[in-house]
Amino acid sequence: MGIELLTAVLLCCILFAFALGAPVGLALGGIAMAVGYLTWGEGIFNLIPSTIDSTYFSFILLAIPLYIYMGQLLTRSGIGDAMFNASQMLIGRIRGSLAVSVIGVCSMLGAMVGIIGAGIMTSGSIALKPMLERGYDRRLALGVIMAGGGLGILIPPSVPMIMFASSTQNSVGRMFIAALIPALISVVSLALYVIISCKLKPSLAPMDTGAEAQMSPRKKFLTMRDGMFSVLLIVAVLGSIISGIATPTESGAIGVVGALILAVVFKRFKVEMFKSAGFETAVLISVAMWIIFGATLFSNYHLMMGIQGMVASLTQDLGLPPIGVIIMMQLIMLLLGFIIDEFIIVLMCAPLFTPIAVSLGYDPIWFGILMILNIEIAVQTPPYGFALFYLKGIAPPGVTMGEIYKSVIPFICIKLAVLILCMMLPDLVLWLPNKLMG
Amino acid sequence: MTTLLRSYCLAIEFFVRIIGRSVAWFVPILSLVVAFEVFARYVLNSPTIWAYDLSLFLFAYIAALGGAYAQQKNAHINVDIFYLKVSERTRRFFNMLTYLLAMYFMFVLIKVGLDQLEQTIKFNYRRQSEWAPPMHHFWVMIITAGGLMMLQLSAQWVSDCYGLITGNDLISQPESDE
Amino acid sequence: AEHNWRFANLYSRGTAFGEVYQSLADNIEKMSDGRISVQMMYAGEGVSTNGIFGAVKSGLITMGAPFQPMHAGEMPAGIIEVGLPGGTDNPAELMDLFYEKGWQAILEEAYAEHGLVWLEPYIQPPVYILTKEPVNSVEDFQGLKIRAPGAYGKFLRNLGASPVNLTWGEIYTSLSTGVIDGSIGSNLIDHRDGNHVEVAKYMYRMPLAGAQVLPVIVNQSAWNKLPDDLKEIVRGATAIHAQEQLTKSRLWEAQAIADMEEKGMKWSPEPSEADKAAWKAAGANLWDEYAKEGPFSARMIDVLKKDAM
Ligand code: NA
Ligand code: NA
Repeated sequence: MGIELLTAVLLCCILFAFALGAPVGLALGGIAMAVGYLTWGEGIFNLIPSTIDSTYFSFILLAIPLYIYMGQLLTRSGIGDAMFNASQMLIGRIRGSLAVSVIGVCSMLGAMVGIIGAGIMTSGSIALKPMLERGYDRRLALGVIMAGGGLGILIPPSVPMIMFASSTQNSVGRMFIAALIPALISVVSLALYVIISCKLKPSLAPMDTGAEAQMSPRKKFLTMRDGMFSVLLIVAVLGSIISGIATPTESGAIGVVGALILAVVFKRFKVEMFKSAGFETAVLISVAMWIIFGATLFSNYHLMMGIQGMVASLTQDLGLPPIGVIIMMQLIMLLLGFIIDEFIIVLMCAPLFTPIAVSLGYDPIWFGILMILNIEIAVQTPPYGFALFYLKGIAPPGVTMGEIYKSVIPFICIKLAVLILCMMLPDLVLWLPNKLMG
Repeated sequence: MTTLLRSYCLAIEFFVRIIGRSVAWFVPILSLVVAFEVFARYVLNSPTIWAYDLSLFLFAYIAALGGAYAQQKNAHINVDIFYLKVSERTRRFFNMLTYLLAMYFMFVLIKVGLDQLEQTIKFNYRRQSEWAPPMHHFWVMIITAGGLMMLQLSAQWVSDCYGLITGNDLISQPESDE
Repeated sequence: AEHNWRFANLYSRGTAFGEVYQSLADNIEKMSDGRISVQMMYAGEGVSTNGIFGAVKSGLITMGAPFQPMHAGEMPAGIIEVGLPGGTDNPAELMDLFYEKGWQAILEEAYAEHGLVWLEPYIQPPVYILTKEPVNSVEDFQGLKIRAPGAYGKFLRNLGASPVNLTWGEIYTSLSTGVIDGSIGSNLIDHRDGNHVEVAKYMYRMPLAGAQVLPVIVNQSAWNKLPDDLKEIVRGATAIHAQEQLTKSRLWEAQAIADMEEKGMKWSPEPSEADKAAWKAAGANLWDEYAKEGPFSARMIDVLKKDAM
């Protein structure tokens, strides 16, 4: 079977299994091992040990449990809620301001974590409940978490950026700096979208519905205090990365210890809370890791069968003008997002595409930032997207996948607009690094 | 017959829940191990040789062994767009198909796990680090995780099959959460 | 083709080293008149670099170029094969060790135990340490936090440093924020590719392992299916590859140094004779420790000891 036909078969199997409501990770692993058995034979089962090695023994992925646990501890102790209650005391008169402060918190988390899963699941742990409790529109709330959590790979540090820079021999520092303006544009346009849509449709974001509305002055003071400390905790975690105390992955553990200390000091620590935070974290970790394992097995099988060759041949000999080639590559990466995760897209496409882009006269850093913006979208586009699955995992029971798909659409449009903007105005990406690094 | 099936399902659910909740206690331990490594490196200026591998092992144990419990709580992600639109009977039928696929995957995982365990014992495989902890327990854990998931899926399969045939739930109320 | 092989190597698509393995694959195809076809699998394309040994052993991949320090837990003798810290970097001496003094036979046996055929090894540039501050003498290693996994960690501890375990993707950020004071790479080119010079400028002059000897391995049952003439052809292609690695890796190493110097890399001062002696002693101290890790390791260390006498 040729790789084109195989790809079509695999895609059909995915869509069929998804339609039947199969658990995503188990289905992807099962399909890979079943189609693999038919096309390759029993030998394909030996893909499992190496896949286990690259998923269960990935130190980078360790950020997922640590950050989720920090988020769970903050939420369940009430400290996380205090942060949002406090923000509402300050800016509650602006409609949609809670969602805007969520975007702010997500940006800070984005500056800590370097992978998408940790970003979305942590933001969701902390910020989803406050928005839903106040009667925010569910789709708006979910979309904000998704869009904000996805910033983790766009705001430095970012693992995919490091992977891009090293596989194309470009400067990591330059990549990081180049990402700042696109990241700023993303954050500002997300916030503007929230404010404008709430203005146009006030029912999206009710006001004065939060706990802080009926609080006694003393309670308000305590909420302010706890809220301030939880912001300080986030700043401290960020500080531990910047000052070289911990790596971005390890800093999650610092956040955990900090959250526990805050809970004890402010008499919010209860054994029940400690227990349920652990249980919930364990379930979320399992959910995330079984998807990552199954999906990695699936894409490893697909790679073994030679999908990279297909992608390489797609970009050649099309007779397109230079910018057409760039657009074509963006489309291919968006399509790959249907079946492949963020790391593999970079690993596969960076070395395949970047030399072509450079030979057409484009700047590799610019191209790399486009790639990061692109995979941020690719992992959020239905039906298959890691970010969507993570969001579903963190969403309260009763939120359906259909709702999640719908919730992300406006935010995907915004990110697409940022991508196109950066594609058309390369200076948005290149000006700052050129200014700072010559 | 109904009683027998019901006890089978309840026994498995009980067993899976015990293990799922036990590994959850590794979560705080994992955080402490990583935090201790930061402390040892930054404050004591003597990084440990064991924290790196130990934290990965703990992570893997939580992630893999918790899978069956997550399945029991229906926490695994599915794309439920079409799934929620069909009747309950059809849904049971869908489950029976997809659980078969998942059980096949678990069967392969267990088979590979056994092969690996044999190799690991024969050659005394370890992690490649300086600490070099042995790997055999890891494969025992993977086999257990696959086995638990398989059992949990089989219990749900039996329950859906029963429901499809008789139109009644095998177990009236799903076990309450915490 | 009569034989369809998959060949997994250590490097990503598009890297210069990756091309050398590609030319080994092409040579096998060409020299066998297309009777063997070889599909190249670059790093992470299906099998992670950590998984190459296991994948060739199980037959998932037919042929592999593993980086043995990653497989120290599976085959401890591989670490000695690559070259212990303080070892020689003279290719002639190294080849002497393999083909005249007995390592070849030991390794063939060691790999055969895992169902692997050991082909002609090739030499890659040595491992160097990059640090944020210059290292003026061996004493400066005292308390220095250096990312150095496995075998190299032990060596650096002998020198008084504090080895740190870090995953490759975190080296850059960790150097830049100061989580670590220095890092080793799997060779000089690794430092260039990781852009580490942007955040740590000083290269220490003495390599950690003199030169790295890496094997090419083939799954035993796939090997057995080859007729004798094809076996000879594969061996021949591997010998050409070894030669190509030697010449090219020197060239690339020089190029990587030039690239890094352009980006501001500096060398730490020339080590003194006392430094060199301390370095060598720290390496020799490890011999007995390594010998304990298995019968093949013990035999290889015996050869080294005899040679040293
Ligand atoms: Na980030
Ligand atoms: Na997608």
